Amino acid sequence: MASDIGIALTFPAAPAVRWGPSYWRGWPKLAKWAGYAVLALTYFPLVWLALMSISERPLSGIPFPLSLENYAALFEDRRWAEPFGVSLLLALGVGLICMIVATAVGRAIPQLRRPGGVVLLAVLPLFVPGMTMGAALFIFLRSFLGLKLGFWAIFLGHIVWALPFSLLTVLVLATKFDHRLLEAAEDLGASKWERFWDIEFPILRPGIVGAGLFGFLLSFNEVLRSIFLRGTDTTMPIWNWLMAASQQSQVPIIFALASLVLSVTLPLLAGFFWVLFVKLDRS
Amino acid sequence: MSLALPGQVSFAQRYSALSGARVVTLLFLVVWVGLVILPLLVLFAYSFFETKTFVTIYRPSLATWMTLFESGRWEVAIRTVRIALTVTLIELVCGFPFALWLAKGCRYKSVQAAVLTLLTIPFFLDMSSRTIVWRAILGREGLINSLLLSLGITDQPMEWMLYSEFSVHFGMIAPYFPTMVLPIYLAMTFIDDDLIKASNDLGGSPLQTLLNVIIPLSLPGIIAGVVFTLGPALAAWVEPGMLGGGFVNLLSNSVESAYTALKYPVVAALSTFVILILAVLLGLLILLSRRVADLGASFKVMRS
Repeated sequence: MASDIGIALTFPAAPAVRWGPSYWRGWPKLAKWAGYAVLALTYFPLVWLALMSISERPLSGIPFPLSLENYAALFEDRRWAEPFGVSLLLALGVGLICMIVATAVGRAIPQLRRPGGVVLLAVLPLFVPGMTMGAALFIFLRSFLGLKLGFWAIFLGHIVWALPFSLLTVLVLATKFDHRLLEAAEDLGASKWERFWDIEFPILRPGIVGAGLFGFLLSFNEVLRSIFLRGTDTTMPIWNWLMAASQQSQVPIIFALASLVLSVTLPLLAGFFWVLFVKLDRS
Repeated sequence: MSLALPGQVSFAQRYSALSGARVVTLLFLVVWVGLVILPLLVLFAYSFFETKTFVTIYRPSLATWMTLFESGRWEVAIRTVRIALTVTLIELVCGFPFALWLAKGCRYKSVQAAVLTLLTIPFFLDMSSRTIVWRAILGREGLINSLLLSLGITDQPMEWMLYSEFSVHFGMIAPYFPTMVLPIYLAMTFIDDDLIKASNDLGGSPLQTLLNVIIPLSLPGIIAGVVFTLGPALAAWVEPGMLGGGFVNLLSNSVESAYTALKYPVVAALSTFVILILAVLLGLLILLSRRVADLGASFKVMRS
């Protein structure tokens, strides 16, 4: 490095030629629009999904004429209600557990002297493809331990999937937490619980809420691990997957159901991440 | 372990590190090893068993691994690796420049936050419903063919767009994009703008800055992006099932049929195989990147 700088200092006007393909001003624009194009590939299907859900001919290329037939069919056909309920219950449970465990472990890890290994072990499931993790848990629980699969097995599978995300969300804030605040509170006579609830919790709150939300939503839409662990139970993503994979005639109902779910989750997610990223940027 | 120099005893160490934090972490690790590590080890062990007439024989042998590469599965494995690598490459080519633009080129903070939001949301969307829509777009009577026909550009519907390798690749591009962009973006936000400026001031062309400054320093992010994209792509299940229409058999299909046939050792061997491919490719990538840059130094930059 030093010698490079030395050369630049001896020849201040060094390479005056600032011209060539790499100086083309279009590169950043190209990068930007290529990325936007892929993002469009992500969101166009969602728009089309919503449009098809109010179409009379949802399997054809032309959405018109429009009708609410699919929604009527959705509310007549009650078979999706049970999987929907199972998914909701699962997601609430996973969200709650993730919130509690991520908070407890997330505030403990920064206090360790060498937290690296623990964090690495905790986020390990992120590196394992969903199919492999599902198969591993399936063989472990079903064949190795001889247990009956179903709701609770899916529950465990979802915890393994969602907890790393939740933990990372809490860790982002917990690593920045200044422990002198607790010291001060102790000197002022605050009890152990008061120190957590009045000082640590409010500062970690965005991370804790995020951890719960991650747990809920990741569980609510998980399919790869659930396929292996379902036993005789069915969650909504599995139901969607079965219906979409087998019968064409069921597809319109899925469009309507997925549109309804999207209309709730999309604004929630957009609002949460918007706040999160704007806030992270300010801190 | 927890002995510290007298002047350095912080509140955390003096008070809770010894009891609370350690106990919680230890408890968590015990449960976590039981839930994650143990199942993976059992999976690996099961791949050395075999199935005969629907009964798993618990005697170590290489029989299952041998059968993996017979009965056309070898072809399936090659196809899976080829498609996963192609998709990962497409994501890298689209994702790296996009991440660079997002981290260093985007001038508006609000645009940045909006793009990050758009990149994060797909993690939480149902795979099957947004994959199945492509059928209504790419199909014989789908949106694209209807448009082309009514505009008179073609007089016959194009059939290669659905239930082909094209549609499988195409359907995978959008879902695996965020896993590539976000790690690279994160690594790039740690690159000091002054380094880029210095390279420019010393007469480096943008290409030289890219090759000598940005790529070496964002290498951990690139490797993370490749791993997070390649892994799920190797195990892709929903996309080949729904857009391949039975014509594009990947490893996931083999796993599915072995699973329904109760051949657990085959499920185990195929799933282990995915991890092995991932590990080999990751090892190659790290070896390769050693020639470009010192990974340890890149991590040091990130930490500082």
